[in-house]
Formats: sequence, C-alpha cells, structure tokens
Amino acid sequence: MRRVTMAGIRGHWLRFLLTSLSVLLGVAFVAGTLVLTDSLDRTFTGIFSQANKGTDVYVSGAEGATAIDGTNLRSGLPLTLEAELERLPDVRRAAPELAGSAILVGKDGTAVRNGGAPTLSFSWLDDDPVLEVVDGRAPRGPGEIAVEEGTLQKAGLTVGDRTRVVVGPRVMDVKIVASVRFGALAGTTLVLFDEPTSVNLFAPDGTTAAFQVQGNPGVSQEALVGQVQQVLPPTAEAITGEAKTEKDTATMRQALGFINTFLLVFAGISLVVGGFIIVNTFSMLIAQRTRELALLRAIGAGAGQVVRMVLAEAVAIGLVGGLVGLGAGVGLAAALQAALTSFGLEVSGGLPVSARTVIVSLLLGLVVTVVAAAVPAIRASRIAPIAAMRDDVAMPEKGLRRRALWATALLLLGLAAVAPALRLEGTGSNASQVAVVLLLFAAFAVGAPALARPVIAVVGAPFAALSRSVGRMARGNALRNPRRTAATASALMIGLALVSAVSVLSASATESTKSLVNQLVRADLVLEGGFTGMSDGITDAVRRVGGVKSVAGLRAVPLDVDGAPQLAVGSDAAALADAVDVQMRSGTLDVLDDGKVLVSESLAKDEDLDVGSTLSGVVGSLPDAKLTVGGVFADNPAIGSSMVIPAKLAEQAVPAPQRADMLAYVVLDPGADAAKVRAAVVDAVKPYVVVSVQDRDEFINAQSDQIEQLLMTIYVLLALSVVIAVLGIVNTLALSVFERTREIGLLRAVGLSRSQLRRMITLESVYTALFGAVLGAVLGLGIGVFMQHVLVDEGLTDLVVPTGSLVTVLVLSAIVGIVAAVLPAVRATRLNILKAISVD
Amino acid sequence: MARARDLVKIYGEGDAQVNALAGVSAEFRRGELTAIMGPSGSGKSTFMHCMAALDTPTSGSVEIDGVEIAGLKDKALTRLRRDRIGFVFQSFNLVPTLTAEENITLPLDIAGAKLDKDWYERIIDTVGLRARLRHKPSELSGGQQQRVACARALVSRPAIVFADEPTGNLDSQASAEILSFLRRSVDEFGQTIVMVTHEPSAAAHADRVLFLADGRIVGELLEPTAATVLEQMAAHDPAQRVS
Repeated sequence: MRRVTMAGIRGHWLRFLLTSLSVLLGVAFVAGTLVLTDSLDRTFTGIFSQANKGTDVYVSGAEGATAIDGTNLRSGLPLTLEAELERLPDVRRAAPELAGSAILVGKDGTAVRNGGAPTLSFSWLDDDPVLEVVDGRAPRGPGEIAVEEGTLQKAGLTVGDRTRVVVGPRVMDVKIVASVRFGALAGTTLVLFDEPTSVNLFAPDGTTAAFQVQGNPGVSQEALVGQVQQVLPPTAEAITGEAKTEKDTATMRQALGFINTFLLVFAGISLVVGGFIIVNTFSMLIAQRTRELALLRAIGAGAGQVVRMVLAEAVAIGLVGGLVGLGAGVGLAAALQAALTSFGLEVSGGLPVSARTVIVSLLLGLVVTVVAAAVPAIRASRIAPIAAMRDDVAMPEKGLRRRALWATALLLLGLAAVAPALRLEGTGSNASQVAVVLLLFAAFAVGAPALARPVIAVVGAPFAALSRSVGRMARGNALRNPRRTAATASALMIGLALVSAVSVLSASATESTKSLVNQLVRADLVLEGGFTGMSDGITDAVRRVGGVKSVAGLRAVPLDVDGAPQLAVGSDAAALADAVDVQMRSGTLDVLDDGKVLVSESLAKDEDLDVGSTLSGVVGSLPDAKLTVGGVFADNPAIGSSMVIPAKLAEQAVPAPQRADMLAYVVLDPGADAAKVRAAVVDAVKPYVVVSVQDRDEFINAQSDQIEQLLMTIYVLLALSVVIAVLGIVNTLALSVFERTREIGLLRAVGLSRSQLRRMITLESVYTALFGAVLGAVLGLGIGVFMQHVLVDEGLTDLVVPTGSLVTVLVLSAIVGIVAAVLPAVRATRLNILKAISVD
Repeated sequence: MARARDLVKIYGEGDAQVNALAGVSAEFRRGELTAIMGPSGSGKSTFMHCMAALDTPTSGSVEIDGVEIAGLKDKALTRLRRDRIGFVFQSFNLVPTLTAEENITLPLDIAGAKLDKDWYERIIDTVGLRARLRHKPSELSGGQQQRVACARALVSRPAIVFADEPTGNLDSQASAEILSFLRRSVDEFGQTIVMVTHEPSAAAHADRVLFLADGRIVGELLEPTAATVLEQMAAHDPAQRVS
C-alpha cells in the first residue's frame, strides 16, 4: 500500500502543497510563539545574570504588593546596614541598591527612551563587576554622569558632552564623563551617578529597597546567606544571587506572558481554520478518488487498509506542513522581534529553536492533519466497492435538515445563555461569556451548510442579474455541495467574525471614551507622563502656574487587600472634586482628607461594603495597612480604579523613587485665558521632557488612537487567517475545476467564451467568500453587541456599529474571492476542450 | 452549408506520428442528415471535431455557413460554435446545476440573445419534454437527457448540428426516439445534421452515409438501409464480420 500512497501524493502534488500550506500557517504561529518565548527568556536571563553578576546574596526588605511593572514594592532597609554586612567575616563587600528612573535628554532635546522600556539609573561603584568602562572616568558629584554605550549612541551624545537628566521632579545639568558597557539591555536606557548623588536621588530618607552582597572567594552562596541572615532585621530577607536571577527572570516572563497568550490565541485560530481546510480537502480528494479507492477495495484491499492509506497521506502532509511551518515560525519570530524592537523592547536572544519547539510543531502539524483526515477516510472506507465502480458516484450526503436543527438548538442555547450573562454583573461571569461566544460560533459553524442556499441566493442576486446564465451557473456551482462551500467559507467566517466583533468593540470604546470624558471630566487640561508616569514635583510645578486652580494627580498604588482591586488611585479630595464629576452614593469626598478610602458602587455591591466597612492587607510597601471605607461613588472610568485612597497614604505606601502619577487633571481658574495658561503649563513641564499636555479633545483623540493601535495589531494578525481563507478557496476551486473538467469542456463547446468561463469561476469564488463574510459579519456583530452589553460596567457605555468598516470588510471579502479565483480560472480556461469532453 | 477540403490531421512526430486524417474532402448540404461511419481509429471523430471547430486540422480548410475557420482566433471560434453550430455528445451533455429548460436555452443565454418563443415552443413539443422542463438533469432518464441535448442543439437555429454517437449510451427505444427526432428536424425544419455513429440501424435514418477508414473517405451510400450499410461496412473493413 505504501507504493500506492506515494503514487497518490505524487499524482496530486499541487493539492498536497496547498493542503500543507494550511497546516503550515497554524504551525508557524505556534512555532513562532515558542521561538519568541525562548528568545525573550534568553534575553532576560542574560540581562539579569549580568545585573546580578558578582552578587552572591541579595538582601531585600519585606515584600509588599506587586507594582504595575511586575516588581515588588518593598519596605526600606536602613543604609547603615551596609556597614554591618561588611563586618561579616566572609563578606567581601556589600552595596545598597540605589536605583530609580532617570531620563536622559538627547542631543535633539527630547527624552532618550525605547517605547515602554525602563529608563534606569543606578549608582557607580568602582570595580563594579556588572560594568565595563569603555571610555572616561568615574563620575563625581551631581554634575557628572556615566552613560551606557548603547544609550549614549541613541542619544547622539559622546563623552564630554553636556546635557540634562530628569530624575523625578529634578532636572539636572550634567556632563557625561564616561561610557560603560553592560551587555544586552532589551531597550532599557542606563545612566549612572556617583554614590552620594544616588543616595540623594534614590534614598533620600536613608533607606533602600535592597543590598547586593559579594562574598570572599571560596564561600558558597548558601553559606553566605546563612551568615547574612544573622545581622538582618526581621523585616528583611536574603536569597542567593542565583535565586535572584531566577526570580527576576520569572517575574519578567510573567509580565510578558500576555504576548504569548495573545499569539497562541491566533495560533489556535489558524489551526482551527487550517483544520477545516484539511477536512475539506480530504473529503474532496476522497470523493474524487472514490473509484480508485473502490477499485483497491474490489481487488481485495480491506477497509482498514484504505483508511490507513489516506491517513498515511495525511501524515505526510502533516509532517511537511509541520516542518516548513517550523521554518516559517522562525521567520515569524524574527518579524515579531523586529516589531517588539519598534515598541522599545530589544530582543537580543537570537532565534533559539529548542527541541521542545521542534517536537511541538511537528506533533501539532501531524495530529491536526491526521485527526482532520480521519473522518473523510473512514467515510470513504464505508462505500461499497461496487457502488463506487459505477459511473457517477457521489459521496453519500446526509440531508441538511438535521444540521439546521442542530444549529438552531445551539443558537437557542447560546441565546438562552446570553440572557443571564447580560444580567450577571462584575467579573464573575467570564466563563459564561466565553461559553456564549463559543456556542454562537458552534451554531454558525454547524448551521452554515443549511444557510448556504438562502445567503448565496441573496448575495448572488445582483451578479445573477448582471449576467444571467453565467451568474446562475456560478450560483449553482457554489450551492452544488453546500457542505463544501460552508467549510471553505468557514475560514473567512471565523476571521471576519473576529474582525467585526473587534471593530464593534473598538468603535464602541472610542465613542464611550468620548462621551465619558465629556460627561465626567471637568478638567481643562490633562497631563500624561507616558510609561514612567510623572513624579512628584511635576504636578507641583504645574500648580504654581498662574491661572491654574487645581491639579488632581491620579497615583497608582498597588494593593493586595482582600476584595479590593489590584490598583488603587491616590488623590486628594478638593482637587479630585474640581477635576472629575464624582457622584457620591453615600458619604462624601472629603473623607479622603480624614484618611478614609472611597470605593466604587459596583465594588461595594460585590464585596458587600458600605461606609464604615474596614479592609486590611498590603498597600504598596506597607505590609499590614487598615483601610476604612468613608464613601461610595458611582462607577467612574475617569478615576480609573474602583478604589480611591488618600494622597497622603499613597505617599507613605510608595517609596519616593517609584512615586508617580499616571495622569493629572488640571482645572483652570474661572475666566483664565485658556490658551495663555496652557502655554504656561507647557513651559512648566517642558524640562521634564516626557510629559504631554492635552486639552479635552486631544485627550479623547489620544485615547482613541490607543484603541486604533491595538486594533491595527489585531487586524494584522487576523490578516493571516484571511490568507488561510484564500488558500482554502483556491484549494476548493482548483478541485472543483478539476472535478468539472467535462462540464467545462461541454460549456466551452456550446459556446462559452474564455472570459465568460473566467467570470463564472470568479463569481463562484466571490459567492463563497461573501457567504463566509456575511456569516462572519453577522456573527461578529452579535458577539460585539453582546460583549458591549457585558462590558457596560467597565466603561463601554455606548454601542456603535461601525457600518463603514463592516461594508469595507464585505467589499474586501469580495476582492479576496476574486484573488482566490485567479489561478483556478486560468487553469480552467487553459483546458483543451476536446480532452476535457473526453475525460473520464 | 459546410464544406471540408483536403483535411489532414497529424498527431505526434517521427516514429510516433499518426495520420488521423489523410486528406478528407466532403460537403454537407442544407437539410440533409449525413451519417459518418467507420471502424475505431478510422478518423471519424477527428473529422467531426475538425468540422465542428473543436479541433484545428494540420492542413486543409473548413468552411461553415460560408465562414472559413482556418486562422480564426479562439474568440471567433467560440462565437462560431455558439451561434452557428449545435452539439449533441454521446454522454454528459447537460450542465447538472441547470434545469432542463435552462440547459436548452444555454447557448442563447451565453450569447445574451433573445429567445424566439415560437421556435422554442415548437422544439419543446417536438422533443416532448414539456412536463419535464423544471427538472434537473439528475432527475431525467438517459433518453430524456439526450432529448434535452437535441433541443439545446437546435434552439439557436444553428447552420449545422454535429451529433457524436448520440444514441451510444441509450436503449433501443430511447435510441429510436432520438433518431426520429433528428430525422424530423431535418424534414420539418430543414436542419443540417452530421452524425457520427457505429450502429447501422442509426445510420439507416440518414440521407447519406460517408464511410471512413484510415483517415480517408472510402465510400458513400445514398438512401441507406440497415442492410446496405452493413454490406458497405463489410466491403470496406474485411476484418469486420457480420454476425
């Protein structure tokens, strides 16, 4: 049988390739994700082992809540601990970790930064094992810095140049006295001050978050930990340098986990879509070869042998798809690395292809293909040999009524699930939301063949009117096998369902933002500090500008309190009341000044809180804080959290170097000249380089732009599912043309011109594409509307159906159909009429 | 109505060269039913395909309804087949997605031409398919399918109809129906028909029979009967025994 299998593959190599392609794309996504993960891992393992070089023991204060960047806020340790540590017999040296954010101003006067990558500063130590001095000498005093060579290059500066560095609220005039080498930094910029300056900047209260301890040669890290622990205060802990590197890497891995999740979702989509195409292709291949298979059966091949033969082909396709997909995945990973670099995350881990990646890719390609091919293979083996030998055999087709019933049942089930999901509030209903979406998808996938006739009748009507016979035949061809058409169109359906759901959500989000800002924000200007936020002092500087009435900074404070959100916002009452329209349900805003906290209405409801309730847990670096609820406010996206804590508490909870406002609302004096004040505010924040000043319209636009950017990323990834869809249509059409060789010959003989034939095939393709697009658009619209309802509480208050984008999507699908038809149509028009007519 | 002069068709090259037609000249007159007979490999199908603008001869000329087809491009040939020529093949004559009616009017639909309603009605009545017009080919018997094919061949009032073994796949009763229909369209409508067949009984319906062997016309019989056809066949092909 092996010889027959190989002959089968050789005989249909083009189809073999097309089918492999659909496996390939799915595998490429998975392989790409895995390669990228490994590469990111290597990058960060490299960075952290470099950063912890020479650190045998890492001493840190008690762990606080986890900050947004994934690091832990820790209670401070006194700087005097350094001397105590150095007194230990096996300690060669101990150094406080004096680090924080410092923004270097480049030659062009703008901040030197790579997207969202950190702008780091730490103190210069002579003989620091972490650094290698390339050029220059140690910085001395607040007027001198050393800069990492990559950062220096990006800044367009050289040793000896003068520039500015922004550390928190301070803008310092400095001279660059040294260039140092660190190794890979993943886009992080690095500036070094001497130790006294660093203490001033990053440990002004005489405490630091951690110490790095280096032992004498020959002392094991574990032994050193034991010694160090003897002198530590009870709130401090010590771990080995190796453990520290591992921990850092794990934290980073977790922080970047969303990238993997995101990519794996798309890998899943392409594999499902690819699976559809494989089922489809094998069904067709087998239908076409029914006679061949029956002949094999008739001359004594068992049903099992036939199944095995088909599966052997599937194995070959799966392996080829998996292997090439692996290669394509490496390419994809390279492309994604480039994309990450453009966002500021420089990946220096190369493109490692681990054994795991190879095994997962090949297995995935194999399993998906074989499973997808199994159903048609088994069906083929059930055909009685003698039935198949007759002239016009068709694969047995079950009626579509049962499918329609199943689909209706699933749809009703989905709708039934929608009702309670709509009523459920809060975050507890995530599972039921996913269930609803999956049920809707299932209903459409199952029901698609039954919908083919009515939908294609509608979308085909205008074309049928344009060219009667050609349009009618194209429609007939598209409907000849509704299952096949539906399976072919399903790729497009899935892709477009996601596209339209996302566009409904993003249009709604944009509109909601607009109306929320208009309703809730009373501030005249909004200040944003980008990824690092705005340090204290920036807001103070703005407060001092003439014509500014108040500035409300929203400070993110990480929490680990039962029943509370992960982030609270710190603010003071008067400024908040000025800037944001806060509707109090009970209590007053003023309680913030008494040290009490405010909770949102939905949080109060979920956690059964009211004025007087108390909460306890970790607030920032404060290990056991007690919070008393002083008021309940109506849910308010302009605040950005469901809990507001007093500004003073926020200050205590977050160590000075990490204190930053995400956002600040500026309210002007009544009657002030808005343009003039704005110009003054812009001047006031100018030295801090990264702070942007926006009026309300600009703020709304900036928010919409963010949504747009996210949307573009999703569109690019979905474009891949469209590529798969095109392949699927090409595949199906090519097979259809092949199957209908005689019919095409006949049509040509009775006078169908080449251009009419081309039009007929193109129309069939367009019908199939539009069918998938219409189903997808309807499904996506349903999902979008549903999700908007579910997310009303999260601030998605306005439903907008982006008709324009939906129409664009439909038009694009028609173009997809036209493109997919090109090759099959060329093939059809090249058929020799005589040979076509006389073909078996 | 149609004329062939010195048709030569050579397949292959060198040792593998086959002279399918070795200089065939013939004329088909208006309102005449001509049968073409000959053993397998005699070139009868090739001759018909060249006459019907489905194949291009190596040399020689073909004239259909006053149009010389040598040198015509694909577009012109397609139009010629659509407007001037009708076809009936042995099997697989109909487009499975179209109804009988749509199959019949297919050449007109393709051309975007207007249907001559009276003519159409007359054909439908002659083939006796009125009750079956809305059926798909799969719902028709083999004989009915061939009748639909015949109606399609006639609907655009072609100059000439070529029928390639039109009764090859049919039982004797269905064959008789098709042959009598072809006969009537010649007698009543003055249609010109060329039919390739290997059945003497079918050829007996023709006005004239041309015999081909080894790519040449080797005989002609006017007013044939089954018996005279058999006689001629035996004369031209000694290998063929009459059982």
